[in-house]
Amino acid sequence: MSTKNTPAGRPEEKALPRLVPATDILEREDGFYVYMDMPGVKKEDLSLDLQDSELTVTGKTSVVAGEKENFIEVQFGVGEYRRSVSLAEIVDRQKIRANLKNGVLELFMPRVEKATPRRIEIQAG
Amino acid sequence: MVFDLDFNTLFPERMHRLFEEVFKPEFFAQRRLAYPPLNLSEDASTVFVRCEIPGVEMKDIELTLTDKSLIVKGERATEKGKYFRQERPAGLFQRIVSLNVPVDRERVKATLVDGILTVVLPKAEECLPKKISIDIA
Repeated sequence: MSTKNTPAGRPEEKALPRLVPATDILEREDGFYVYMDMPGVKKEDLSLDLQDSELTVTGKTSVVAGEKENFIEVQFGVGEYRRSVSLAEIVDRQKIRANLKNGVLELFMPRVEKATPRRIEIQAG
Repeated sequence: MVFDLDFNTLFPERMHRLFEEVFKPEFFAQRRLAYPPLNLSEDASTVFVRCEIPGVEMKDIELTLTDKSLIVKGERATEKGKYFRQERPAGLFQRIVSLNVPVDRERVKATLVDGILTVVLPKAEECLPKKISIDIA
């Protein structure tokens, strides 16, 4: 049972298929790193939204195939990638950095710098 | 007491449903049988092979063209660090595409954009459809 589909999706559907990007979360000395596989997503089609402690990544893939091609085998197509990551309290929200290269989104989330210890003067009186 | 009931033959519906669930010819199969995902298409004059391989540079992909097939081979490196979650594929990968038509080896081109590798293989001259004129004797 095969339905004739083009990688551009079924013409009747308005919404793009929802895809979940494969995600790696790791920690290094300088902070947390999140890597998401989002092949076919260009920088302008990618958005990051931070709401409370939840960072939502959304990316639309761009159509790659020409119109006149006949498909013999289809294993991937267009869609919309969406994934949310919860941020821990120790992540410094202002210093989050994002980089998209070769279809991989790299999120760098540094830790909040601890306040330097200081002595408290004791007043007599 | 030994039961030798084969539920799948007694209830063929269940066998059918089992296959449907596991081997769903879904448009986006979440459980792929081979990595990287590959699209194979053609038009009148060209064969197109596309693979989703994010996170690798062109120099880390090995493309080999034999007279009957195209082999895409490479390795996805893992990042260093303490992992809390690992979902991205890592390690060596290889896909072999059998070509059912001869291709013009000199004009084969490959590009890697946003993690999608596209290999354009023009079909060889001799296999393109040609018009044959009929002489009336």
